[in-house]
Amino acid sequence: MFKETPTTNETETVIGPSVKVEGDFVTEGNVIVEGIICGTIKTSRNLKVGPKSRIFANVAAENALVSGEIQGNLKINDRLELTSTGKIFGDIKVGTLIVAAGSVLNGKCQMGTPKEKSIKPDFSKQEKIDLKTQVNSEAEKIENKQSKKK
Amino acid sequence: MYYYLYDSKLNDKKYTNIIARIETRLTDLGINGKINRLSFLKNINQVLAEEIKRGVKTIIIVGDDKTIGQVINLIADFNITIGIIPIGPNNNIARLLGLPSEESACDIISSRIIKKMDLGKINNYYFLTSLEIGGKNITLECDKNYIINLQENNNIINISNLNSCYDTISDPTDGKLDIFIENVQNRLFRKNRSTLSHLKNKTIRVTSDKTIPIFLSDERKIIKTPADVDIIPKKIKMIVGKRRYF
Repeated sequence: MFKETPTTNETETVIGPSVKVEGDFVTEGNVIVEGIICGTIKTSRNLKVGPKSRIFANVAAENALVSGEIQGNLKINDRLELTSTGKIFGDIKVGTLIVAAGSVLNGKCQMGTPKEKSIKPDFSKQEKIDLKTQVNSEAEKIENKQSKKK
Repeated sequence: MYYYLYDSKLNDKKYTNIIARIETRLTDLGINGKINRLSFLKNINQVLAEEIKRGVKTIIIVGDDKTIGQVINLIADFNITIGIIPIGPNNNIARLLGLPSEESACDIISSRIIKKMDLGKINNYYFLTSLEIGGKNITLECDKNYIINLQENNNIINISNLNSCYDTISDPTDGKLDIFIENVQNRLFRKNRSTLSHLKNKTIRVTSDKTIPIFLSDERKIIKTPADVDIIPKKIKMIVGKRRYF
């Protein structure tokens, strides 16, 4: 009645510990790295970096879970999770950052979406207050009051 | 019009009954046609070339994976549909295409679900299933973008178009080749540990410091490095069953 086919996993690229990749590694599926990569990594989906892996590359992904070492800049659109064995030596741009105790992060960090900027008060529309003239006018008022009393 | 190509091993007496049953079933379904029995004296290239000239549109291979591999190389460049009636133990292709063995396959041929499938190409040689490479210091240049260096000795590389290995099914309609790299580490007094890498690519260049044989599992043929492996999308039309694996 039902199709007797073996269970298939979601399309994933796996780079095992025995493999060394050099160059521009661009894919559209999930990527699991357990080996060594030199160059660049780009994926439109998730990236998982294993504890014994080493990446000497700029990384771009949707989500990332880092347990190994990355030397290069990271651009993660959504969520970056750095586990206790994870090491990043480079600048990161990320939506949400989760850092575990024991992890290493050396570099500039920019979090949040580009729309989320700090709200500065806008003083340009306010009229300028001339303190000198205000002080003088108040002094004149006080003098007038005093002279009237006399 | 159907053209039936019988493998040379079917000349053996033990297959007489099976062939008789198949032929009866084909006649019942009204899809019988010209039959050609291969033998050691008949050259398959010559036989097929003549039939293609005559304008045959559907070739039904009665045999196993080896026969399919031979036929595919000869007819890949022509607009011909291939069907399979599997006989014998070595029928991995038929299993993946969802074809039951012997006379049950006749019903599938009759229902005629045709799928356009990709073909792998290694140095101008077509393959449907997979290649296997084993050796040291192998380099794979993938899609002209990145290089995979395999310096350890215990690597087995499997490049698949249609296959089911390592619990993964290679889809022959996705326009990509699956690369599996298995590394087996022998350990004293303990179980061997193996790690697996899996990538998908369109073109692969296989090079090594020494000439390494590449084993073609379709035909059990050996090709030597350096070799260029490509995928030709939707190159061949095949009759498949509903229980196919992709």
